[in-house]
Formats: sequence, C-alpha cells, structure tokens
Amino acid sequence: MSMHIPNGRWVVWLSFLVAMLFQIMPLPDLVEGFRPDWLLLVTIYWAMALPHRYNILTAWILGLLLDILLGAHLGIRSLAMALVIYVVVLHFQRLRNFPMWQQSLMVACIVSLYHLIVFWVQFVVDSATFDASLFWPAISSLFIWWWVFWILRRVRRLYKVR
Amino acid sequence: MKPIFARGISNQFRLTLAILLSVLLLLTNDKLEPARKSVSSLLSPLQFVANIPGAMLDWSAESFATRDMLAKQNQALLNQQLLMSERLQRFEHLRQENDRLRALLGSPVHMDAKKVVAEVMEVASDPYRHYVVLNHGERNGVFVGQPVVDAQGVVGQVVEVSALTSRVLLLSDPAHAIPVRVTRNDVRMIANGTGVLDELELRHVAKSTDIRVGDLLVSSGLGNRFPEGYPVARVMNVVKDDGQNYATVSAQPLAALDRIRYLLLLWPDVQEEAREAELDSAEMVTDSTPEASQ
Repeated sequence: MSMHIPNGRWVVWLSFLVAMLFQIMPLPDLVEGFRPDWLLLVTIYWAMALPHRYNILTAWILGLLLDILLGAHLGIRSLAMALVIYVVVLHFQRLRNFPMWQQSLMVACIVSLYHLIVFWVQFVVDSATFDASLFWPAISSLFIWWWVFWILRRVRRLYKVR
Repeated sequence: MKPIFARGISNQFRLTLAILLSVLLLLTNDKLEPARKSVSSLLSPLQFVANIPGAMLDWSAESFATRDMLAKQNQALLNQQLLMSERLQRFEHLRQENDRLRALLGSPVHMDAKKVVAEVMEVASDPYRHYVVLNHGERNGVFVGQPVVDAQGVVGQVVEVSALTSRVLLLSDPAHAIPVRVTRNDVRMIANGTGVLDELELRHVAKSTDIRVGDLLVSSGLGNRFPEGYPVARVMNVVKDDGQNYATVSAQPLAALDRIRYLLLLWPDVQEEAREAELDSAEMVTDSTPEASQ
C-alpha cells in the first residue's frame, strides 16, 4: 500500500523549476544556439523513471509554462512536449534498459523531434524559416543528458521519490 | 506501482486530450491575453532570478573597474555632456521658435512626452521572434502598444505586460511594421521587419518614388502608436527592377538592436507630468543659484 503513496512530489517540481530557470538563463552569444533543452531533459527523465506519475499531461503543462515564459504563441511547446513525452512513456522500459550511450543518442533524437515539431507548428501559426541550427540543441543535449541523468537519479534515490 | 492505470486513463487518451487542448490554445491565442498576463506575472520572479548572473557580471565589471578607467570614462562623459548641452541650447531656441510658429499657424504645439528608463533583462525569449524583456511592468504604468526608443532611434513596441516585466517586440521582427517618412521630402511609407536584426524592408514603394540610399526615415506618427519624428532607419539599398511591380528598398535600423541595454519607455499622451517635472527642475535650478537671477 505504501508503494502507492506519492513521495517527494516537491522535489520533482523543484527540479522542473530549476530546469525552467536554466532554460531562460542568459548565455554568451557563442553558445546561445547550443542551449540545451533543460526542461525537456528533466521531463524526459521523470517520465522515464516514474511514467505513471509524470507523463503527458505534466509535460503539456510544463510546455505551456515555457510558452508563456518565452512569450511564444500559446500551445506550441505544450503540444511538442506532450507528443515527445508520449513517445518516451510508450518506450520507457526500453529506454531505461539501454546502455548510457544508446540512451543519450535516443534522447538526442527525441530533442530533435521536439525542435522539429516546434518549428513545424511555428511555421503553420506564424511564419518561420528553416535553419539547420535548429538541431544544435540536440547535440548539446546529447552530452548534457549524462549529467542530468546522473544528478536526477541521485536526487531520486536521496529523497526516495516515488 | 500503477495506481493511475488502475483508474483506467490510457496514454492515448491523455495524448488526445493534450493535443486537443494545444490546438484550442493555438486557435484562441489572441483571446487569452489576460490569462497569459496573470501567469507571466506569477512566473516573473523566475525571470528576475535568471537575470541575476548577467546583473552580477555587470556589477563586478563596474566594481572592479580601476580608478584610471573610471576617471577616463568620467572625462569622456563630461565631454559628451558639454557637447550635448550645447546642442540642447540651440535646440531649446529652435523649439520655442517652432512653438511660436505653430501657434501662429494654429496647429497643435508639440509637448514633451513622459519617459522612463528601463533596463533590458537578460533572459531568453522565443528564438523565432525578436523580443526583449524589460524590468518594468504594469506596476510602472507600462501598457501594451507603448513605444520604446533608445539613444539612437526607435526600438519597437511593448506587446505583453505582466506585473513586474514587459516584453518588447523589436522593429526587426517579421510581424512588426512602423509607419515612417523620409525626412528629405516627407514621402510616407511603411517599414516592415524582416527577421534579420539589421534590416528593415519598405514594401509597396512605387518605382517613381524619390528615395535614395542614405535617406533618413523617421516615424511619421500615422497610426497613432509611435510619436512623430523619432529616427527609425537609414535607407541602405534601393533596387528599381523593371521586372518588378515595386521598388525593393531595404533600410538599416538606427538603434543597435543586437546590443541594447537601457531603453526609454515613452508615454506620448502623458504630457503634464513631464512639463511639471521640467518646471520643477527649472525652479530648483533658479532657487539654487540666486546669484544668477539677481
């Protein structure tokens, strides 16, 4: 029975908040294009670790908050986040059991997909020109993922998040 | 471990719900301004926190500046101030003359608008749009549609206001357009943003229009959004191709949109306060220098 009681909810939401902070943190122009998608990475982690608690609708809400924070057309990132996290939730078992390098490659693919969806919706509702720099964040996310995963796993075990 | 599954909400259902809600949001985006305003007011502490590293860098650059550097900077600013005040003396004379002439012609006299200096917060915005976030919001009286200028020229307009911050759409955003006129001959046109920071585009300019490279474009005041007479851009390129219906004209914004730090918010309709403040300061000056008046 105790397995069913959610634990450490505040830790998860705090991690979302910190990720959002990193997402809008100023970066030098040189690396601005490579800004990793912190919020998406953290959401992927929690969706992978606790897919029954943090999943599509959580991602949708976070995407909406991100849209508001960035001043974008509402609904763009919430749609992209929900779709991407759906993929993660469907394959969470497989993703969990992948070796680290394969997992981070998958995460990079998911991040690219996310950016493609954002671009595509942006193109439909406003206007946007396609630029290959769209995929740069996927490269940085590939490397950042190791750290995000490692830190969040420690946090999860430390606070016994369920 | 699967309490939610026991309740029987499948992932497919959640996804469908999320997609439906997103589409709803995408369609009703423009009507949700009040809700967006309140949520972004709630989120604005996040923006202030995110701004801290940049502000600290600025602060450390200032506080670790050497005495020598400060003295040099001070000297440069004093020189600049001298030059400016000389120009201001001439300008003041011209303004009085202009006011008299306008009064003679019976046309409305120009008033000084209220202005407030605001700082650009270093937070990331939607990469597809040209936005900056200012550290002034509804509390400071900022409103949607408010014109924003810097030392060189027009920067853009406020498009979104929360309690403590506001978002400015830059001239160069593809969704932005500003009515301008050429100072040389008062030809009116509209300058559209292109999505490139240092380029504006003048659309629908007839090929017979008298426009040359180097012409200064100032805001025309038509459209009642931007006050008249603020410099906007300089014409960089004019191509009159016989195959095209219109001339292709591009201009470069005068404001350095890629490195703006401090901006001026204008209240074109609030005049009295500015005038009073001006009078107050003038009185103060005369009070503090009684010898000069005697």
